[in-house]
Amino acid sequence: MVLPAVSGAFRALKPKDVPRKNRAADRSGLFDERFLKTLEHLHMVSRKVFAGNLRAERRTRKVGSGIEFADHRTYARGDDFRYIDWNLYGRLDKLLLRLFEEEEDLHIYILVDCSDSMSIGQPLPKLHYAMQVAAALTYVGLANLDRVAIVPFGDRIIDRLPPTRGKNRIFRVFQFLRDCEIGGKTELAECMKDFVAQNKRRGLAVVISDFYDPRGFEAGINTLRYHKFEPFVLQVYDLREASPKLHGDLALVDCETGDTREVTVSKSLLEAYEREHEKYCKELEAYCTKYAMPFFRTHTSIPFDELVLRIFRSGGFLR
Amino acid sequence: MSFLGPIAGTIWAYVAIGAAVLAIGAYIIKMRRRRFEVPFSQLWQRVLEQKDANALWKQLKRLISLLFVLAILAIVLFAALDPTLGAVDRRARSVVVLFDASASMKTMDGNDKGTESRLDAAKRAAKRLIDGMGGGDLAMIFKVDGQATPQSRFSSDAPMLDKQIDDITASETPADLPRALGAAADALRDRPNPLIVIVSDGAFPESELAQVSWDPTHHDLASIDLGDIDVRYLPVGHRSDNVGIVAFNVRRYIANKAAYEVYIEIQNFGQEPAHRTLTLFNGDSAVLAGDQGRIDLAPGQRVSKVFAKLPIGGDNKLRASLRPVEGPGGTDAFTLDDTAVALLPARKKQKVLMVTEDNLFLEGALLVYENVDPLKVTPAEYDAKPSLADGMDVVIFDDHTPDVIPPSPTSLIYFHPTGPNSPIAIRAGEATNPHITELDETHPVMRWITMSDVYMDRSEVFAPDAKKGESTLAYSVTDSIIAAKRDGRRKILAFGFSLPAGDRTSATDLPMRVAFPMLLVNALDWFAGDQADLLTTYPTGQRVRVPLDGVVGASEAVVRGPDGTLTQTPIIDGLATFYGSRVGYYDLTAKAPDGRELAKIELAANLASASESDIAPSTSLTLGGKKLEAPEAFAITRSKKLWIYLVLLALGLIVTEWVTYHRRITV
Repeated sequence: MVLPAVSGAFRALKPKDVPRKNRAADRSGLFDERFLKTLEHLHMVSRKVFAGNLRAERRTRKVGSGIEFADHRTYARGDDFRYIDWNLYGRLDKLLLRLFEEEEDLHIYILVDCSDSMSIGQPLPKLHYAMQVAAALTYVGLANLDRVAIVPFGDRIIDRLPPTRGKNRIFRVFQFLRDCEIGGKTELAECMKDFVAQNKRRGLAVVISDFYDPRGFEAGINTLRYHKFEPFVLQVYDLREASPKLHGDLALVDCETGDTREVTVSKSLLEAYEREHEKYCKELEAYCTKYAMPFFRTHTSIPFDELVLRIFRSGGFLR
Repeated sequence: MSFLGPIAGTIWAYVAIGAAVLAIGAYIIKMRRRRFEVPFSQLWQRVLEQKDANALWKQLKRLISLLFVLAILAIVLFAALDPTLGAVDRRARSVVVLFDASASMKTMDGNDKGTESRLDAAKRAAKRLIDGMGGGDLAMIFKVDGQATPQSRFSSDAPMLDKQIDDITASETPADLPRALGAAADALRDRPNPLIVIVSDGAFPESELAQVSWDPTHHDLASIDLGDIDVRYLPVGHRSDNVGIVAFNVRRYIANKAAYEVYIEIQNFGQEPAHRTLTLFNGDSAVLAGDQGRIDLAPGQRVSKVFAKLPIGGDNKLRASLRPVEGPGGTDAFTLDDTAVALLPARKKQKVLMVTEDNLFLEGALLVYENVDPLKVTPAEYDAKPSLADGMDVVIFDDHTPDVIPPSPTSLIYFHPTGPNSPIAIRAGEATNPHITELDETHPVMRWITMSDVYMDRSEVFAPDAKKGESTLAYSVTDSIIAAKRDGRRKILAFGFSLPAGDRTSATDLPMRVAFPMLLVNALDWFAGDQADLLTTYPTGQRVRVPLDGVVGASEAVVRGPDGTLTQTPIIDGLATFYGSRVGYYDLTAKAPDGRELAKIELAANLASASESDIAPSTSLTLGGKKLEAPEAFAITRSKKLWIYLVLLALGLIVTEWVTYHRRITV
């Protein structure tokens, strides 16, 4: 007789397994008073750590009409004569045009994975954790007078909170996160394609997901890179996903695809799975490191504010 | 190795095939797995792809699991064949042990101290015999007393057979060896290597031993054919000193029924002189004791004694008891025959009331019988005051049929009853000049009576109903002239004709015949339950047919033994079958088909067997002229039963399979 000890990420499936989705869908208590206090605390900490940056002085790499010199380039017909560097012409006898960085507000896009796999997790669904992190980052961004947009996705771009600015918009953000639709498969590549098509303004693209995409995570992240967005990868997983406590003869059902796989879970198989999970996460991390993208991996047992502070300290989010 | 095969081969084969199919089917049919939801099955896919490299081993593990189950199955089925090591089939024998449980086995010589009986020693010997059986030997135990009772079917289960031997108790009857040998021969018919072992003290009459025939071609229905059977004798017992009562009887005097005489035979079976005191008890009071009962016996001597004119007490039970006299030769090893019992019908003077005008014939006939106390009233006086009959044992209505009869149990005699008050229904029309053509000589009233030439000018004709306990005692061709009836405890006798007296016009010469006073005496004895030919004392171990005192319409009787046990016995032709297995008093109650109690008689049973009282064991036994050998051939190596080891092996495999399954080794 097999008595599997199952909890957390792996759950015995019942004929109509609605409780999981209901639990993930119920987000009424997600942003309570205590959460708000935590956000305020995070904001204070961010201000203290990065004292002096009172305004949104983050610049885009876009060359434009700012006052900060950026670079030179060869004059071409039709360029404005006013930007010809005559001093250099005198020394080098070449017509070079002075380029300036364009000063504009930074756009921060928070892309939250709302697929079915994010609904799994104990004691908190990964989705809830991801939304709390998204809300925290949004609050800090809004407080820094950045323009922050939230884009939930699954197998498509589910919805979109347009870029907004100012701390007082945070309640609108909460409402959006509470009400947005969830579910579906993970189609990272397709969603990122849609995202870049819909958002012409480049900016920081914080992707919060478990990155459990059968087609791989690379294509989606590459799409952001290729379209000059700055990907910021935040992988959320559940501890029991990484180290499941299963035993015996089971039929494992993929919560997104519905694929069923009959398995006799033994200790050696569990160990092999844990190794495979770790390997997958390492692949993601190695990929991000390779392309100099900020990467954070966290499990839902770590308090979200602790994660946010870690992000702040690493300097990848706040400049 | 041999197989006892307690299960038929075809059944075993069907079970084996069915179980194997079920086991394999269970491995083919996939178990319904529990379903669990995972967030990313592709990870599992990758792991399993690596594991699939070991698919062959995985299949093999599953095959090992199946082989485990099939091996367990095969072992259990093999065990069902009851394989045995060390038995040699061709020497396997069929053994019937005839275990003597007769009265003589109660002799207390099972050990030197005299604390165990001969039966206990026989049990030990029989169990040694059973425990020494070979692996293929089958044995059956017969208890031999007055009957031959098989205790089991043929079996090789020694503990079970030992228990059956332990459960045997000694009876108080002689052993019926011919019956037991016949039953054993029947049981052994067509069985391989038949063997009979008689475990006994050899106390059998020579006549019984001579009934055996060893010649299969000898066809004598009276003999027991043991031609193809090996018969052995295992003797038990060693003491022979015994003094016992071998006959005990009591009878009344015909003339003086208030006294009786006792006949007793006592024999010394020992080799030393013996001294005993005989005491006779009537109820609890001794009627013979002291020096009057002193008996001295030489070795082997048998004495017969008659004790005459012993007085009757208030009880009808007689008991003879031999008590040892202190000194040498005073005790013996067998006490059962030191007591004998008998029954004497209770007797007293009967009060007889005659309801008659002066009838000298009737009064004269009663005067010749000294056991009656006659009174007389006229019919008018009786009709005026029927209570005159209260307390009477018998009332005789002479040519008078009263409206009110005395209450039961007062018995009644009617001469010429008429009308609807007749105790037995009267058919219309009188019989003229009837002649007695047939008498029921089995009825107590008609004993020693001849009425063939009795004259009577006319008679009423009765129509007796057997369902009411009525029967005809005398017929004139088909007309019932004299009839009798049992009505509970009351008995009624009715004559269809009148006795001559005074101015009566009817005429009969019966009162002038000898038969008339005999009729009255017989009738009064019947009413009192005292019949000279009604034996009430029987030997134990014999099946006898007991007359039931004129009971009509009884179909079966219930017998209550001395120890209170109840047995049922059939009644055929007015006779009940009686078998006494214990010494003592019995009650036999005859019952109608509807359960009504019709009559109750008492019986006594005694051992009364010289061959049983002769407790000297026979070291050898000669059956039909052939001396039996001792069963020394039983010393055979004990066989080893394998089934228990096979079951243990199967259990071991089940545990191993369980452990390997749960440690995911065979999964």
